[in-house]
Amino acid sequence: MEARRTWIVVIPIVSVLLLSGCWDRTEVNDLAILTAGGLDLTEDRKLELSVKQYLISPSSSEQSGSFSSDTGGGSGKSVLRSSRGVSMADAESHLQQVLSRKVFWGQDEVFVFGQRLAKEGLAEPMEFLTRHPIPRERANVFVSQSPAKEVLELDPPIERSVSQALRKMAENETGLNITMKELAEMMAGRSRSAVIPWVEIKPGDGKQAAFAHINGTAVLKNGKMIGRMNDAETRGIMWLRNEVKKATVTVSPGKGKGLVSLQLLRSRTELIPHIEGSKWSLTVRIETRDDIIENTSEFDLSLPDHMNELERELEDDIKRRIQMALRRAQKEMKSDIFNFADAFYRKYPREWNRNKGRWDDLYSNLEINVQAKVKVVRPGLTNKSIFKPEQR
Amino acid sequence: MGKTNGFGSRGPRSNQREAERFAHQEENRQLDQALSANLAENVQALQRLYTRCSDVIFHEFCIGNRMEAVLVYIDGLAHIEEVDQHVLAPLQQDFPMDFTLADIRGKIAVSSIKPVDTIVKVLEEISGGNPVLLMEREPHGLAIGLPKWEKRAIDEPSAESVLRGPREGFIESLRTNTALLRRKIRTPHLKIVTMSMGKYTSTQIALAYLEGVAAPSLVEEMTSRLQRIEIDGILESVYIEELIEDNPFSPFPQLLSTERPDVASAYLLEGHVVVLIDGTPSVLIAPITFYSLLQSPEDYYERYVVGTAIRWLRYLFFLISLLGPSFYVAVITYHQEMIPNALLITMARSREQIPFPAIVEALLMESMFEALREAGARLPKQIGTAVSIVGALVIGQAAIAAGIVSAPMVMVVAITGVASFMAPRFTVGIAIRLLRFPVMVLAGFLGLLGLIMGGILILNHLFKLRSFGAPYMAPLAPMQWRSLNDVLWRAPRWLMTKRPHMTGAWNPRRQPHGQRPGPHKGESGD
Repeated sequence: MEARRTWIVVIPIVSVLLLSGCWDRTEVNDLAILTAGGLDLTEDRKLELSVKQYLISPSSSEQSGSFSSDTGGGSGKSVLRSSRGVSMADAESHLQQVLSRKVFWGQDEVFVFGQRLAKEGLAEPMEFLTRHPIPRERANVFVSQSPAKEVLELDPPIERSVSQALRKMAENETGLNITMKELAEMMAGRSRSAVIPWVEIKPGDGKQAAFAHINGTAVLKNGKMIGRMNDAETRGIMWLRNEVKKATVTVSPGKGKGLVSLQLLRSRTELIPHIEGSKWSLTVRIETRDDIIENTSEFDLSLPDHMNELERELEDDIKRRIQMALRRAQKEMKSDIFNFADAFYRKYPREWNRNKGRWDDLYSNLEINVQAKVKVVRPGLTNKSIFKPEQR
Repeated sequence: MGKTNGFGSRGPRSNQREAERFAHQEENRQLDQALSANLAENVQALQRLYTRCSDVIFHEFCIGNRMEAVLVYIDGLAHIEEVDQHVLAPLQQDFPMDFTLADIRGKIAVSSIKPVDTIVKVLEEISGGNPVLLMEREPHGLAIGLPKWEKRAIDEPSAESVLRGPREGFIESLRTNTALLRRKIRTPHLKIVTMSMGKYTSTQIALAYLEGVAAPSLVEEMTSRLQRIEIDGILESVYIEELIEDNPFSPFPQLLSTERPDVASAYLLEGHVVVLIDGTPSVLIAPITFYSLLQSPEDYYERYVVGTAIRWLRYLFFLISLLGPSFYVAVITYHQEMIPNALLITMARSREQIPFPAIVEALLMESMFEALREAGARLPKQIGTAVSIVGALVIGQAAIAAGIVSAPMVMVVAITGVASFMAPRFTVGIAIRLLRFPVMVLAGFLGLLGLIMGGILILNHLFKLRSFGAPYMAPLAPMQWRSLNDVLWRAPRWLMTKRPHMTGAWNPRRQPHGQRPGPHKGESGD
């Protein structure tokens, strides 16, 4: 009796499994593994979607019959395909027509928007990329000076593909490192302003192939690109956004000609908003700890006086960098890319809600007070330079 | 066979059984007959039973040149030289006029002499190797304890070798095995109860337990389960295992079999019972938990840090051997986005020209591996190496070169193969290897979902399983914190103050607390 009951349960389960089979299985050799995507606006105002498909060449090792993995270098292993459509989803569906294998966005690491499209607005493609379940939220986003297709066409000699090269450059944290998720948050956030790393192509000369590199930042407001900041200003943005991980600051302290360079150990940026009456202001407090890595000045780092003076110099330098970025963002672009809006909202939610309609106005007139505090913790064992200073 | 035509044939079958039982009883009545005072009659009865048994010797002689007697023994089982020297020689000397049975016993210079008074007892003694002396006008025979048969020397069990620790193993002789136990545990509390089983084999079976440590209910349960067995013959411990286990359909062993006296002794000291079977070196231990199958005696003979680390390694590789290929199949056919980019590209490249789906590839390679293992295990050593060389070439090299299977798959299969050999008990290793296949099929159909389903089913079964009433997954389920000492890590000896709860609850205290050694141990104030 019990045995029969068991079979009544087991037989349907087994037949469901066996009859359904593996209908939705996809073998890796049926997939077009897309590692990078690029979006451009064409002359006829259509979207052009370009993708970099990783070319999985049947590795030579399999023919030679040994275990050794492929020894072929990194370059020339990807193919570029593009399709056009009126919207991102439309273009994406046409993509399958030019690819023999199933489009697979699951490994997409990089998304590049062309400058033209960025100026026109990124809202539509972002809607697709965040809603569709497959594209990675952790993919890096970039805005390219040239059409995105041209960036994707490059084949870097070192990395596996251009996507890998761009992603690694972003991860080095010399510039901004923005993922799709962060971009979506910024675009949908209170400040409605976003920053995306700016990619330029360094044209090749006879000796070297062209390569793409990050150089500055594209600034977006309400989903549209309104300007670009250069490298130095980008550093200022990073200080303000509390994203500085690595920095080398070189100052030339007051007297003497030499230079002192410091390397950042740790840095913390705090935004402290104030509202007094109708006057909105904000204090930026930056605390850093540093190493001294080079000293060609007259300074004797074992003397507290000299050290204090050096620290003041450094503080001024950091402030200068920040002011530079602030001035452009606040006065010229009027774009709250530092997300001051959130800081105000957190501290004064009621006032914020009452005034959120005129935030643009408030922001451009915001009084910003930058305080920097530098502490040199490791001056090194050679206090004063043991070599002849002032010698170049 | 009985199962296929099981329905409707109950009537005739029970009739047949009835007849069988009747015949059996008839035979028993004959055997239960007491010995008569007439020697010729007794010898005749025995000879009728032992017709066409060329190895049974009836040696006729006269005690003290006066009294007729017959010595019955089986050639090859009795120690003939000793019998000649200590039985026949003294008895054939001159005797005083009126001698009694006691005088005869006194003449025989053998320590173990037992009077026997029924035919069945005579048979038992003879087949046990003890010559029986039957005498004229005497309704008693004398069984002389001089058995001797060829047996193997005690050596290290090859399936359970250790680097450190005793190298002796059980052998096929029950007496030697009980002696090995008795030599380790010298207390009279070690009880060894023998019984004989098997209609034709009359195999001797010994139930060993430590009185005062093993729960009486457990001993009782084991005894009753053993006594329930009705079988024609017992040739190996598994005959008994299959007749007394709790769940006969489970792939997991519910009794532990070992060939090591030290392992058996360790379990005895924890309150388990041990069943020794004549004719096989493996003894059965019950009850056991799942974790005891993943423990090796080496764990206890190494330093506890090492023992713990190795134990965890074993747990890890146990999971790998169960789920490794399934995980690979699931991820590569359904969840490509889970694989890191660089790894996926490498895998994709090696799979580029493979004609089969991953699940087919996996089933192919896994069955190939099982076939190779089986072929290598059953062959003589010289041919076994040839098989493994061919196997390595075929599955390792040629298959990849020909583009039939991908290199990562070969790696996965190899890793799971090695992992399954890490289980210190063959029985659990093979169970896992078999379970791997259904899980693999599930993973091939349903991806990680199927993998999880398979895992849940197996876990469910394990949690339900019992070994002699003891939960199989104890002490994790049900949770017994103290007993985790021997599961999550191998606690140092001075911390193992309590026996595991499952079997040791009857007498939990193993040793006093506070024996942690140190340089100042034993000084005043400590």
